[in-house]
This record gives sequence, C-alpha cells and structure tokens, in this order.
Amino acid sequence: MHDAIYLLAAVLLPYLGAVVAALLPANARLLAWLAGCVALATLAMVGLGFAAIEAGGLPRFDLAWAPELGLSFSLRMDGFAGLFAFMVSGIGVLIVLYARYYMSPEDPIPRFFAFLLAFMGSMMGVVLSGNLIQLVFFWELTSLFSFLLIGYWQNVAAARNGARMALTVTAGGGLALFAGVLILGHIVGSYELDAVLASGEAIRAHPLYLPALVLILLGAMTKSAQFPFHFWLPHAMAAPTPVSAYLHSATLVKAGIFLMARLWPVLAGTDAWFNILCPVGLITLLLGAYVAIFQHDMKALLAYSTISHLGLITLLLSLNSDLAMVAAVFHTVNHATFKASLFMAAGIIDHETGTRDIRRLSGLNESMPFTARLALVAAAAMAGVPLLNGFISKEMFFSEALTVATATSVLHGILPVAATLASILAVTYSLRFIHGAFFGPPVDDLPKQPHEPPQFMRVPVEVLVFLCIVVGILPSATIGPLLDKAVRALLGDATPSYSLAVWHGFNLPLAMSLVALAGGIALYRLLYRHLNAGLEGTPLLGFLDGRRAFEQVMVFISWRFARALVRLMATDRLQIQLMLMVCTALLAATLALLPHGLAAGDVALTAVDPVVAIIWAVGGACAIAAAYQAKYHRLAALVLLGSTGLATCLTFIWFSAPDLALTQLLVEIVTTVLLLLGLRWMPRRIETAGSGAPLARLRRLRDFVIAAVSGLGLAAISYAMMTRVSPDGISREFLTRAYKEGGGTNVVNVILVDFRGFDTMGEITVLGVVALTVFALLRRFRPAPESVGVPDQQQGDARDWLLVPSVTMRLLFPVIIAVSIYLLLRGHDQPGGGFIAGLMLAVGILVQYMAGGTRWVEDHLRVLPLRWMGFGLLLAVGTGVAATVFGRPFLTSYFAYADLGPLGKLPLASAVIFDLGVFALVFGATVLILIVLAHQSVRSQRAAPPPPPVEALREPAIAGED
Amino acid sequence: MNGWEQHLAVAPVALPLIVGAIMVTLDEQRAKLKAALGLASILGLLGIAVFLAIRLHVGIGPGIAVYRLGNWPASFGIVLMLDRLSALLLIVTALLGLAAQLYALPRWQRMGAHFHALLQFQLMGLNGAFLTGDLFNLFVFFEVLLAASYGLALHGSGVARVKAGLHYIAVNLAASLLFLIGVSMIYGVAGTLNMADLAARIPQMPAANRPLLEAGAAILGIAFLVKAAAWPLGFWLVPTYAAASPPAAAIFSMMSKVGIYAVARLVLLLFGTGTGASAGFGGTWLVAGGVATIAFGAVSVLATQDLPRLAGANVYISSGTLLAAVGAGQVGVTGGALFYLVSSALAIGAFFLLIELLDRGRDIGADVLAVTLEAYGEGEEEDEEDDAIGVPIPVTMAILGICFLCCALLLAGLPPLSGFIAKFAMLNALLNPAGLGKGPALIPWSGWALLIALFLSGFATILAMTRAGIRNLWATEDGAVPRVRAIEIAPILMLLLVCIGMTVAAGPVMRYMQAAAATLHAPQDYPRQVLGRTR
Repeated sequence: MHDAIYLLAAVLLPYLGAVVAALLPANARLLAWLAGCVALATLAMVGLGFAAIEAGGLPRFDLAWAPELGLSFSLRMDGFAGLFAFMVSGIGVLIVLYARYYMSPEDPIPRFFAFLLAFMGSMMGVVLSGNLIQLVFFWELTSLFSFLLIGYWQNVAAARNGARMALTVTAGGGLALFAGVLILGHIVGSYELDAVLASGEAIRAHPLYLPALVLILLGAMTKSAQFPFHFWLPHAMAAPTPVSAYLHSATLVKAGIFLMARLWPVLAGTDAWFNILCPVGLITLLLGAYVAIFQHDMKALLAYSTISHLGLITLLLSLNSDLAMVAAVFHTVNHATFKASLFMAAGIIDHETGTRDIRRLSGLNESMPFTARLALVAAAAMAGVPLLNGFISKEMFFSEALTVATATSVLHGILPVAATLASILAVTYSLRFIHGAFFGPPVDDLPKQPHEPPQFMRVPVEVLVFLCIVVGILPSATIGPLLDKAVRALLGDATPSYSLAVWHGFNLPLAMSLVALAGGIALYRLLYRHLNAGLEGTPLLGFLDGRRAFEQVMVFISWRFARALVRLMATDRLQIQLMLMVCTALLAATLALLPHGLAAGDVALTAVDPVVAIIWAVGGACAIAAAYQAKYHRLAALVLLGSTGLATCLTFIWFSAPDLALTQLLVEIVTTVLLLLGLRWMPRRIETAGSGAPLARLRRLRDFVIAAVSGLGLAAISYAMMTRVSPDGISREFLTRAYKEGGGTNVVNVILVDFRGFDTMGEITVLGVVALTVFALLRRFRPAPESVGVPDQQQGDARDWLLVPSVTMRLLFPVIIAVSIYLLLRGHDQPGGGFIAGLMLAVGILVQYMAGGTRWVEDHLRVLPLRWMGFGLLLAVGTGVAATVFGRPFLTSYFAYADLGPLGKLPLASAVIFDLGVFALVFGATVLILIVLAHQSVRSQRAAPPPPPVEALREPAIAGED
Repeated sequence: MNGWEQHLAVAPVALPLIVGAIMVTLDEQRAKLKAALGLASILGLLGIAVFLAIRLHVGIGPGIAVYRLGNWPASFGIVLMLDRLSALLLIVTALLGLAAQLYALPRWQRMGAHFHALLQFQLMGLNGAFLTGDLFNLFVFFEVLLAASYGLALHGSGVARVKAGLHYIAVNLAASLLFLIGVSMIYGVAGTLNMADLAARIPQMPAANRPLLEAGAAILGIAFLVKAAAWPLGFWLVPTYAAASPPAAAIFSMMSKVGIYAVARLVLLLFGTGTGASAGFGGTWLVAGGVATIAFGAVSVLATQDLPRLAGANVYISSGTLLAAVGAGQVGVTGGALFYLVSSALAIGAFFLLIELLDRGRDIGADVLAVTLEAYGEGEEEDEEDDAIGVPIPVTMAILGICFLCCALLLAGLPPLSGFIAKFAMLNALLNPAGLGKGPALIPWSGWALLIALFLSGFATILAMTRAGIRNLWATEDGAVPRVRAIEIAPILMLLLVCIGMTVAAGPVMRYMQAAAATLHAPQDYPRQVLGRTR
C-alpha cells in the first residue's frame, strides 16, 4: 500500500510543483528552492519505491481510468524502471541546482521551472507506466514539454525553429508509437505491460508483428535521435543549457532507449529486429561521432556526440544478445552521467565567458582550473579512458562486437572495425572539446572576463564527475546492485553472468581500446590545422544538412503539395459547388437504383385531360424558359416563373385541393412582388462578348446535360412512385380522425394546426427568422452605384402615375381585411386558415405600398411587424404550453362548443388560437420584409454613400419600424 | 419519466422559442434585458439537458423516452424521441450556446440586429433536430436552424460575410431541396414519416419498393452530407465559418454536427443490424466519404494560412472522422465517435472564440507570413547571443497561450486532453471489434483506412497548429497585448475545462457514450418504445 503511494507521489509531485511554480511570482531563489525540494522529494519517493524492490516486492499502483477501453492508470516499478527513475529524479535535482545559477535574473523563471518540473513528471510517467497506452500518453507529454523548453527563449528564431523541429519529429514518432502500441494491444488483448511482457512468443509469431515493430521502433528512433531522424537534436540545443543537459542528453532522448529495452524481451530476437536496428545504430554511431569532430559550438559537439552514443546503445540492443543488453543498460547510465556533466561544463563556460565557440576559446585552464579538471575527467569518460565508467561499458561493447562478428553476415562481420573506428572518432572529439577550450594560450577578447563559476553551480558537475570516477574504479560495488536489479527485471531467468570488472586481462577489447586512444590522438593532431581554420561544415558530408532537408520537406508538404492538392480538390465557386451537389445526388440515386433497377408500378393511368395537359405544357415551358432567361433577363424570368406557379395552382384546383391552391396563389403574389422590389436594386447584367466562346459553350452544354439528366431522372422516379399503390400509411388516419378528434372538417387545416401543429410552429419560426435576417441584412445594404438613380416614374410628381389603380387599391383595403378575417375564422372547417389569412392581410398592405408609395403609407398607417411576429409566435407556443398546464402533452388541442344561447353554438377549438398565432406571424414577417425592401427607395434617395468599411458597424441603423 | 417531468422533453424547443419571441418584440435599446433573458434561457436549457441525461442514464429500461406531441398516437402525430444521444447533444449545444452568449456580451451583440433572438432560434432548431422522432419534423427543424444560421452568419455584415453567407444560403437551400425529395420518396414507399415506424416497416417492405426506398435514402443522405460538409460537398464551410462572427462560428461548430447526427440516427435506425434486406446500406460509402473528407481536411489544414480558416479546416477532419466512424457500424467505434464528437465540437468552438482574441493583438497579415516565411526562409538568423534572455509573457498572453495549446492538443488528438482519449477509444474499437482481448477478429479494410487517416490527419494538425501557434504567440514582433475582457476568456476556459473534465472522468463519460451507442445499435427497441408494440 505504501509502495503505491510512493509511486503515485513520484509522478504527481513534479506536476504539483509545476502548477505551484507557474503561479508564483518571478523570484528565482524561492522558485529554485521549491523546484529543488520537489525534485528531492521525488528522488526520495523513488528511493522508497526501490527499497521495496530490494525487499523482493514489485511496487505498483492501479486506478481504473476507463476500464471498458482497457485503459487504466497504472504505475509499476521494477528494477529497470527504478534505474531510470533514479536517473530522471537524481539528475533532475542536480539540474535544478545548476539552473538556479545558470538562468539570468531577467529570465522569466516561473515558466522555466514549471515546464522543467512538468517534464520531470512526464518522464517519471513514461518510465513507471504499467500500461502501454498510458506510456504513450506520457511520451507525448515529454515531447510537448521538450518543445516548450526548447522554445523557452521564444524571441530567438533558432529556439522557435528548433522547438518546432523537435516537436514535429518526436510527436510524429509518438503517433507511430501510438499506432504500434494499438496493434500490440490487438495482438495481446491487453495494454497492460505485464500482459504484454508475458506474451513474447505470440507477438513474434503474429502476422502483424512486423508493422507493430516498425511503428514502435519509429517512435523510439525519433525520440532517441537515430539516423535519419537525428537532425532535430543539434537544433534543440537552442534551449537553455540546463535543458540540454537534462532533456537532450540524460533523459528525454533516453526514452527511446528505455522503450526499446522495455519491450526487448518481447520484440527482440528476430531477424527483423536486427536488420532494422543494427544498420540504424551503426550509421548513427559513426555519423554522429564523425560530425561531432567538426562542430565549433561546444553544445553542438556534445549533441552530435550524444547522437553517436545513442547509436551505440541502439546497436547494442539490436544484437539480440543478453550480454549486449546488459552493456546497453550500463552504457545508458554511464552516458547520462558524463554527458550531463559535460553539458553543464559547457554551460558554465558559456555563462562565464559569453561564448561557446571552440574557435574563440582557448586556455581557460588558467582562469577556471577547477572546471577544467572536472570537464577533463568527464570528457575522458566519454572517450573511454580506463578507470572511468565510459571505459567499462565501451569494453563490453567491444567484446560484444567481437562475439557477434563470428556470424556469417557482412553486417555482423564489420562490427568490430566499426566499433573501433567510432571509438577513434570519439577520442578525437573529446580531445577537441578539452584541448580547444582549456589548453593553448589564454585569450582576452572574450565577451566576458572568464573566471570560476559560483561554487554551487559547480556542485552538480562535481557530483556527476565523482560518480564517473567511482563507477569507473569500483563498478560492482557501486552501480552493480542497481544494474543487476534492472537487468534481471528485463531478462528474468535468462540473465547472463557478466562481470563488471575494470581489468579483464590483456585481450582483444583492451587492444581495441588502446588502438582507439592512439588513433584518436593521432587523428586529432592530423585534423588540428583544419579544425582551427574555422571552416563551417563537415568535410565529405557537407551536403547532409538535416535542417535544410527538413525545412524543404516541410515547405513541400505543408505549402506546395498541400496547396496544389487543395486547388485540385476544392473550389470556392458557387456554381461548381452546386454542380457537384447535383452530380453527387444523381450518382447516389443511380448507385442505389442500379442493383435492382427502377420499374414503374402497376396502377392504371387515367385518361389524359386535354385542358390539364395544356396547362402543364405551358407551365413546363415557362419553367424552362425562366431558367433560360435567368442570367441576363431577370424580369422576364420572374414573370415566367410566376406563370409556372399559376400552372401549379391550377393543378391543385384540378385535384380538388382548394387550400393548397389558395396558399399557392397568395405565395406567388407576395413572392413575385417582393422579388420585383428586390430586383430594382440588382446591378444590371450585360451579355458580354466572350460568352459565345467555344469553352463557355462547352461548359453550358455540360451544365445542360447534367440538368437534363437530373430532371429526367427525378421525373422517372416520380413516375415510378406515383404508379405504385400507396402503402397503407398514415394518410387514412388523418381523414378518419380529422373531424372526430380534431374538431374540424378541413383536414388540411387540422393537419396543420393540430396533428402536425409542431411542424407548423417550426415553419412559422422559420418564416419569422428569415424576415429577421432579411431585416438585419438589408438595413445595412448599399445598392450598386448604377442602381441608385431614381427611375422616371418617381421623378417629379409621382401621383400622376397609377392614379386610377391607386384609388381602387385604397378602396379595396377594408375589403381585403374583411376577407382575411373571414378566411382566418372559417379555416378549421372550410378552406382558409391562419397562413392564408396572414398572407391575405399582407397583400392588403402590399397593395397600399404599391398604390401610395412608402412615405404615404407610413404617414397614414403604423404597422409594427416585429410586435406582430413576436405576438404570433408567443400565441402559438403559448397554446402548446397551455396544454401542459392541464397535464396534457405540448400542443394537445381542446375542443368544445360554446353555447351562445339564441345565437346557436360556436365551435371553439384551442387550435383556433394557435391558428391566430400563425396568422399574426405570417402577416408580421411578410410585412417586415416588405417594409425593409420598400425603405431602400427612401434611403438611397437621401444618400448613396460609398460602400462602408467592414467594421463600420456602429452607426445608427434605420429601423424598419416605428 | 412521468408527471411534470415528462414535459421537460419539449422544453429544449419551447423555452428558446418563447424567449426568442419575447426578444423579437423588445426594442433595440433593451439590449441588457435581452442579454439577461438569453443567458437565463441558455442556463435553463443546460440544466434541463443535464437533468434529462441523468434521468435517462440512471433510469431502467432501454433509455428511450417518447413524448407524443398533441397527444396523438405515434404513427401519425409527431413524437419527440429522447435517448442518451439526444440528451448528450442537447448538453453540448447548450454549452456552446452559453459560450457564444457570454462571449458576445461585451462586443458582438451590438454588431447587428437581433443577435440574441437569432441565437435562441438557432438553439431551438438544433435542439429540435436532436429531439424529433419524425422525418418531416426533422426537416422543419433543419430549416429553423438553417434560417437562424443564415442570420447569424451574416451578423456583423461586411463584404466577406455577405459573400460567404450568400453562398452558404444558396448551397443549403439546394440541399434542403434534396432533403425534401428524399423524404417524400421515403414517405411514398413507406407510408409513414415516423422514424421508429419506418424502422418497423422497412424490414417488411416488398422487394419492388426497396429500390425507391434506397434511392430516397441515398438522396436524403446527400442532403445530410452537405450539412456535414463531407468532401466534395462541403466547400461552403470554411469561407462561411471563417467569415462569421466568433460567437456565431462557435455555435456553428455544433451545426455541422447536425448532419452527422442525422446520418448516424437514420443509418443506424433504418439500416442497422437486423433490419432486413437493406441492412448495412450505405456504410461503405460513409467510410469512403469520411476518409476522403479527413484527407481533404488534413490537406486544407496544412495549406491554410490564417487562423479562422484553419479552424474551419479542422471541422472537415472532425466531420470526416465521425462519418467514417458511423459508417464502420460497430458499437464500440460509435461510442468512441460520440466522445470524439463532444470533444471536437467543444474544442473547435473554443478555438473560434480564441482566434478573435489573438487577432486583436496582432498586426494584420501575420499568419500569411507564417507560411510564406517558411517557404522563403526567415531571413538570417538573429544574433542570438544578445537575445538569449527570456521575455516575460503578460498574464493575458499566458492564458491565451494555454488556451491555444489546449485547443491544439484537442484538435490533434494528443495527450493529455480528451482528444486523445476519443481517438484511442475509436481506434481501440476499430482494432478489436469484439472487444479488447475477446478473441481474434478480422479487421475490415475500412478499419485500417480510418486508422491511417486518423493518424495522418493528426500529424497534419500538429504541423499546422504548431506553425500557427509559434507565429501567433511566440514570434510577435511588437509584443502588443490584446485588450481582452475576462468575460471573453471565461467561455473559452469553460469549454476547455469541460474537455479536461472529460479526460479525468473518462471512465464514467465513456460508459455513458457506450450506453448511448448501444441504444443506437439496437434499432428494434425504438418501435417498441415509440409505437408501443413489437414489430
């Protein structure tokens, strides 16, 4: 139980610390204390957890997160995870101490420590995860915080670019890892690490093994900067040095190694594993070491050296040998100690001299002797000098290379040579680092006068260098037990016997070491002149510029390629969008019909009535003509459209549907008038000369074919529908129930206000909203300049025009009102109803506008359309709500006869009130549209200002009412 | 649910209608009263939606509640059909509505006429579409929400809005026409508009009528795909959403989900498992269309320069993912997709709101530079040695930066936020159709296609969001801090907090989603509940 809390605390404490740090004011000392305490506490928790392992336990913490998905929050610490947890938290403590002195007082410290601690928590999450999805979860978080830390100096372009490159590569790799883990979970049937580790055989035998392996390795290789993904690491050096020391040498880049080692028992042991990882590791090892020699920036040199060492570890892991595995784990720890201390040393030099350029630095041994000693020891460990930790793991590497070299393949065969070569290069760059900076004549043209750093800034380096020496001299006594626990956690019973001794006698590996030392020194002497010439770039490999390649790829993918593709796949043009819609619908219907075919039904057709046939022929011809004229002759098209509407109206009458006919007629009138009012403000369209060009003709032909096919197809479908016997559906119910239960003999009206009153409520809302939208849009409308001119009819005394009609129209007004009320009241039983009546009344107003003009009407009559609309909607919805008051569902109608004594009985249905609401809304909405359209003429005569700027929105609006 | 509680089912439609109607009658000057009314209405909607969801989820039975409007029997009256999915979408709609309302208070409500009323009608349309159990009534509510969205898209006016808005109106009117054609064809052969009744009738439909039914369903589907902005029917989306005012765009992020909802509802109900000869109709096409939409979205995300269009392009990815997930036709995938729907709708909504705040502090054209600079190199490296001192970030920028980061993580589906959980839930179900560890099952090609599409689109989103974020938050030259009111950041934080909450409570939330998906995948339950009889 206690163990579980230790683990949880080890992951959560850093995050808590991060949150607190982010909220604290920028006080460097306080923040450093906080961060240091958090890191120390985390280290203590790891120590307590490890004590439990020592006692033979396996500390774990489990919390159901989303158990249905196989996702749990589970932490577990075995020896291997413990070793990494020690590294993460231990080096974390040292880094915090170092950063306290490294960071400038002007730097915004809270952000730095918050990100650093959050990174530490994420890293703890990665190494302690007992569930692979959870591991991916923390994995991506490490990428994220690495991104934020690299980009900490956001005002520096290199930091931004480096951060972005790092995130792109590592987060992309993280996605691959995610996919790989999903496949792994599919194979195993669980994402729990224990379950996965127990099914190695099943995994390696599964057909999906190779994809899973490749994806997981992609994740590991991107994170651990393996060739060809290594290029992000040197650019990540734009981060503050504590970050480089912590993330980019000791922990983050080791996450890939951690993962490969963690899954080594189940994924390794196959040819695929070796064939992928060995070449990658080998190239990374040699390339990194070679390029490192030619770096002038100390941090860049260390970065490439890190790449090289990561390649070495990968190579060891690839060998499918238990002993190589031991060496890999051991070297991971050793590398973390000496490389972190070297980074910190480089940071000290940068901090105290103002530059990291090896070409400018020289003779620092005199001004900062103590730092020089420390760096010397650490660099010697890096070069593999005996009695230091780097030597021991390198010896193990050599002996492993020799062991596998007995295999027949060429790749195996060249390993010893390659290992020696890499070691020669390592000695050379280590020499360059030390000799270039600390030896030679002192210089005095540095940006700052060099001196020893503050004492506590050196402490972290001292601790790490001390570890290098102790482990180098007494390996079994110091790192031995820890390493043993780690290796046993991975290999279990298969753990080979190995010896951590410094001295193995005179053997081939020792000879290789000596060759490497001698060769490295010789190579450095050979290259000395060239290096000091200060040339940029790497000889022979100058063309391999990772950054440029990356940027070119990025520009290609995210700019040229993507834009070209978007241009190919998309359009902004409305015509094409509509064409695509029609074509897709046509295609969809065709595809649905293809398997079965479309057959007409077997209903007997009635004889053709010549009158109706003529009406339809005229209506159809008008519709086609309207489409033909629509582009350049809008008025003609509108008139033709009206004729089609009339044909439809007549059809309704012929089919004995007076309600529909009446509605259609009124809608035709109102829409035509409103459209005509709108047409007045449209800019003219003039047929251009180019419209007869062959290409345009072809395009129109295409459009014609599409239109014809779609129209004919729809006609065919309609024919097939109408010749079928209607299914026994709901329509019969309407007829039988309309009077009995709905209280009305006009079935259409009962459907509208009762059976499907909810639809009607929605539809009147639509009408109201459309009116509001038109209002909102038009009150800001400025017509095109050429439409502003006042037409002849409105110039001078307008009253001469339409004198007789206008008098008639005015006289008709009361009649129209009466008819409208009549239509409203009879609606439930006879043709009529709220919708029709509302339109009728609106026509009355409309006629007045036509007769008298806007000013005249508004001087004599005040209509408040918004009030009408709101009132109508409230009436309609209120009828619905009223039913709920009586415990009935919304819109339940009440029906009774009111006994008016001698006057007889008056049918009273609550639906009538609903219909009144419909009436008010329809009237209000129609009139609102009419008024805003009519006001255009009033407004534009006053002024025709230039088109307003986009944001000039606050000027008083011309209200459509009052 | 009985007693007064049953009427709550209609409240999500009636309440905004009443409030909207009252607002219409109020004068322009009563802006404060309108705002207060709107806020109260949306808070009420949120409360009702949460209440309904809880009642449905913890109650016994199949989790379907039916409300018969006008007290008419189901087959010919209109019914509201409330299940976990509807309740969930009501909550998300209310959340986005609340965010839009709050955000609009300091500035945007004054930028045009009738903002508050239009927002209420928009919510009414959305809620009605999610609740209705009747095909024609669905059309009506589509019209309500579209009509309101026309107004909201044009809110604030300006050349760009009017141009994009008129395209939007034209496309959607044409799509509504297709909707009507599809509905009438289905009605013509099935004789009913009630969805549950349709589900009961379709298995018994004579073979001669089946082609017409399927053709009708296909045309109807195209109408929905237009609203869902599936490729190649959704080119209207980015210009419209990018030009719309931020609060409108935030609520629009839910609107594009209505098309998805309709597809999911109808495909699973009418052509789901055990629905006779037409079972599985259209599934393959949905997956193909969805994957194509994801691909198009990923490419547009990469090719996009300015932030509003970037947010719009993310809607494509979201839509495509959901369509393909629905097309996969597996309970688990649907459950994950519902989680994804909520997460991505909230994230995109928050992102639209955030963009304008970032925009305020920035010189025009900065994001044009983001891509072009990349293409032509960023000049020479600056002299870093002088510059390597961090600049403190003002609190406002820090909060905006965190919000941006959260949006980016959510949209790209990266940990630790709900986008990751959503993606994982879908992928886990795709790879393990029978459930994790429930024996080997063959993964169909569509599963692999969706998997690859999800990963590649996620990567594209990372690239695009990083580029935009660096350019807008890190590389600001003048360091001008936008003037932002707390009430404008609050809604963004609220939406993001919900996403964070969904991550922490992934277990219970996912159980709700899975239960909702299970209900959807048991189409035979609906006729039983709605018609009161077994088929």
